[in-house]
Amino acid sequence: MRKYLNVFKISFAQEFAYRLNFIMWRVRNVLQILVLFFLWTTVFSDQGRVIFGYDKAKILTYVFGVLIVRALVFSARAVDVAGEISKGDLTILLLKPINYFRYWLTRDFSSKVLNLGFAVVEIAILFPLLKPAIFLQTNGYSLLGFAISLTIAVLLFFTILMATNFVAFWAPQVGWGAQFFVIVVMSDFLAGSLFPLDILPAVVQKVLLFTPFPYLIFFPIQVYLGKLTGMAMWSGIAISLFWLAVLSILTNKIWRRGLLVYRAEGR
Amino acid sequence: MKTAIKYFKVWWMMSRNSFMQMFAQRFGAIFLLIGKVLRFIFYLSFIYFLLKGTETLAGYNINQTIFFFLTFSLVDVVSQFFFREVYRFRPMIVTGSFDLVLAKPISPLFRSLMGGADILDLITIPPLIIAVYLIGSSLHPSGVETVYFLLLFVNGLLIATAFHIAVISLGIITLEIDHTVMIYRDLTSLGRFPVDIYREPLRGFLTFLVPVGIMMTLPAKALMGLVNLQAVVLSFTLSFVLIFLSLKFWNFALTKYSSASS
Repeated sequence: MRKYLNVFKISFAQEFAYRLNFIMWRVRNVLQILVLFFLWTTVFSDQGRVIFGYDKAKILTYVFGVLIVRALVFSARAVDVAGEISKGDLTILLLKPINYFRYWLTRDFSSKVLNLGFAVVEIAILFPLLKPAIFLQTNGYSLLGFAISLTIAVLLFFTILMATNFVAFWAPQVGWGAQFFVIVVMSDFLAGSLFPLDILPAVVQKVLLFTPFPYLIFFPIQVYLGKLTGMAMWSGIAISLFWLAVLSILTNKIWRRGLLVYRAEGR
Repeated sequence: MKTAIKYFKVWWMMSRNSFMQMFAQRFGAIFLLIGKVLRFIFYLSFIYFLLKGTETLAGYNINQTIFFFLTFSLVDVVSQFFFREVYRFRPMIVTGSFDLVLAKPISPLFRSLMGGADILDLITIPPLIIAVYLIGSSLHPSGVETVYFLLLFVNGLLIATAFHIAVISLGIITLEIDHTVMIYRDLTSLGRFPVDIYREPLRGFLTFLVPVGIMMTLPAKALMGLVNLQAVVLSFTLSFVLIFLSLKFWNFALTKYSSASS
């Protein structure tokens, strides 16, 4: 346990080594949130308007919820795994008495803690400036569901990210393309970062809810907003747990197969 | 004329090399291309379904809002197609290999800015032009409005050029490019929707300081008959001022190049 604590500390310190990098990344997050904020504020310029089952307070809570949940779920150091494999740097970690998955999960946690801290500061700055109407959930049951679904989302994203990066075992040059496709495009859009998925037609929503992506962002925020309670909430949690189990097994299998073909190029 | 032909030949040669490099990594490029197309479709679907529910956005109907998005995409993709080399500029400065560019008998700015067009963007440009034409036609513009649109589209590209020159100039001085260019892209991405949706002072910022409104929103508005000749002239004046300032900045930045590591 202590070695992972040290990995956490070192990784946390490393984030500060590239301060400008990190600050720019956060600036980009804020800009994306500003687009959504102004877009939805315009759509809900009439205070009493309810569209797609959202009033102004709930949709703006969704926008700010995305800022927080994205910081927790999507911030990850494991994006470097593909590069590590293609450069042969993986060898260094394979020689160490450390579990590869736990190592990257720990590094991800350090990144999440830092990003979450910044997201909270950003919200503290944006709130007085934008003065958004916000929905505060007080129901303990929904808050518990939110905490559970958020934890699953973090682990689910980790498995998706690792499986995507392991493509580099077979095709070292494809790592960046695969990551752009799965992480930047699929996960971001189909997870509900840009818009709540319930603006889509019912059929599309139903199909999407059988994929792992909505459980990364959309589902936890829906639970927080109290739009999913009781059976709907628990069945969603069950589906996301199912995906977590399936993807964990799959990622492990890809890892084992990948190690068989790993040639440590560049070392 | 002779110089123009020479530069076109150089650009053609550099772009061909860039295409061949991309083909060497074709599987990654296919993923990237599919990702780009999907992202475009997702945005388009979002606007479509949103406007299906709300009917209007800041007073614009579904076709008009889609047209704003298509105009943004076209300005963005065309400038990415021409200026992709900007993303590869930093290693030249960091390693000092920019010396080799300075020693060649062509403009170092031309080489740094347009030293390799992006084939992925080239693939997406024709369908985008068709979409702009189809949705634009449905807005029933007059001949003058169409001319204003085309002029302001070119003007948008001029402003994009000025920003890319500023980014690489800043790169020479600070060695930082990747994030500056991404911040520029994030700022311009605010132009996916008409700038009318933004509140002051952000709207003013996007109109005058980082003229996303003039780059992306104004051409689309021109086609809708919402822009007069005076606005077109003012927009061109602004873009020429920006080009002039960016060229001054480039010349200043060159004096700060230290040729480190070479």
